[in-house]
Amino acid sequence: MHRLFKWSSKWWPGVVPLVIFWGIAAWTSTPTVEADIAARSNAALKDTVLDKRRISVDGRDVTFAANAFSEDGRLSAVASVDAVPGVRLVNDETRLVPEAKPYVWSAERDVVRVTLGGNAPLPSSKGRLMEAAKAGLGGVEVVDQMGLARGAPQRFDAAALLLLDQIGRLKDGKVTLTDTKVTLAGMARDLGGREAIAAALKNLPEGYSIAANDIQAPPYVFQAYKDPVALTLTLTGYVPDNNVHAALVAAAGRKFFSEKVVDNLKASVGAPSGFAAAVVPALGALSRLSTGTLVVSDREVKLSGDALYDAAAGQIRDGLGKDFPQGWQYKAEVSVKPASAPVDPTVCQQLFSEILSKGRIRFESGKADIVSDSAGLLDRLIETAMRCPNTTIEIAGHTDSDGEDAANQALSERRAQAVVDYLVRAGLPANRFMPIGYGSTQPVAGNDSEDGKAQNRRIEFVVK
Amino acid sequence: MTALATFFWGWLLAALLLGFGMGWIAVVHRAQGVSKVWIRWLALLAAALVAASFTKIVPGRFGYWLDLLLVMFALYLCGCAVGSWLRDWVVSRSKPAN
Repeated sequence: MHRLFKWSSKWWPGVVPLVIFWGIAAWTSTPTVEADIAARSNAALKDTVLDKRRISVDGRDVTFAANAFSEDGRLSAVASVDAVPGVRLVNDETRLVPEAKPYVWSAERDVVRVTLGGNAPLPSSKGRLMEAAKAGLGGVEVVDQMGLARGAPQRFDAAALLLLDQIGRLKDGKVTLTDTKVTLAGMARDLGGREAIAAALKNLPEGYSIAANDIQAPPYVFQAYKDPVALTLTLTGYVPDNNVHAALVAAAGRKFFSEKVVDNLKASVGAPSGFAAAVVPALGALSRLSTGTLVVSDREVKLSGDALYDAAAGQIRDGLGKDFPQGWQYKAEVSVKPASAPVDPTVCQQLFSEILSKGRIRFESGKADIVSDSAGLLDRLIETAMRCPNTTIEIAGHTDSDGEDAANQALSERRAQAVVDYLVRAGLPANRFMPIGYGSTQPVAGNDSEDGKAQNRRIEFVVK
Repeated sequence: MTALATFFWGWLLAALLLGFGMGWIAVVHRAQGVSKVWIRWLALLAAALVAASFTKIVPGRFGYWLDLLLVMFALYLCGCAVGSWLRDWVVSRSKPAN
């Protein structure tokens, strides 16, 4: 040992080349050592969920900066880096992802793109939302402006994915999730979209609720066009369901006695309440026009066209709105068709016969009350009567053979009188008309069938 | 540090061989040795550097270079000890027996 100590005093000259070796070794190995440590640190964090991860290596010291999503996750990430072989020190610059309060997430759709904003709890849920948006919106540009924050309510992903589905049903608008409250605003893409969204929102995860649903639906439009040349009534637009559809077409058939009904209606949800109750009388008003268009848009009814004579125009303008359900608006732009040229009595008779061959004036069963469906037909008869002002016209009432003759006679007289009263109210002089009841004495068809009886129950206009 | 030896093992070996060579020479070398006072001071310096290394107070690259220096120096000393001991053994064997 003593000799070893003696020799060691002479070992110093080797230190000079040793220092040179050390210098070269340090110079050449440092970059490779640093690169290796960085690679292995990154590999150690491969399965750890972190945001804004940054690793820089200085010698054997690792500076590790990242945003972690939980305290446990943060500590385990630091421990992972610390355990990497070769690492001397870890400069821990990690912190927790900030907590958002309130926790807001939003999806906004405009004409060209969908923008996802607010916060998502994890990069994976952010990615999932982006993927779902791209898949569900087929071709629409999706812009990611989401940040990451802690503090998301439970089942956030499920709620956000469900809301994202609703964005597909919007033309434009915004869906916002604030903690567990959902706010929706915008315009639905299709009729029924608003209802579909409302139905889908019932499946929101437990604990979530709707704070405001201001989704607007596109206007619910129903249109009817009476074409006097083609003698058609064209119905287009929407009806709530097949029952209303059938009822409207049937009502149109009764009211438009000479027009063919062209039915282009489609059934769709989203109709305003009282739709049928408003459209049926509006169709009645349209039937009184020579030519006209009826547009029902949501709760607004717009009727435009030409009435056959002045009084009819006034009645249509003033009368219709009264029949409508509450909340409905009525706008009439009714002008009066220029009066047709006068005709001689023979032509007048032909015109009456022609009109009455296409339709019959209808009354309440067993009564002398004219049903409103006959208003269009009566207007045509009144217009014709106005074209032969110097004639006297016999208004002849007929019944079928059911019941007693005396009763039929009385009913036919009262019905003839009701028609005369109607004509007088339209502005025609009472002295031009002679109401006569014939009871069942002049049948035009056999009374042994329902069809024959229906033909016998009639009012005839006979020019004298 | 062991895990990183793959990157500089050649230099460690060089330090060991250098030490072995120096130790081999030192036994028969007639040069002036380092005085005991100097040895004490140098030992103190070495101890201070080892302490600095273990306490990791030298940051970044300097810390790595210090570790590298100490490892190389330790291997050098080992090489010296082995070299000197071997040379001494060889010399004592070749002396004629009295």
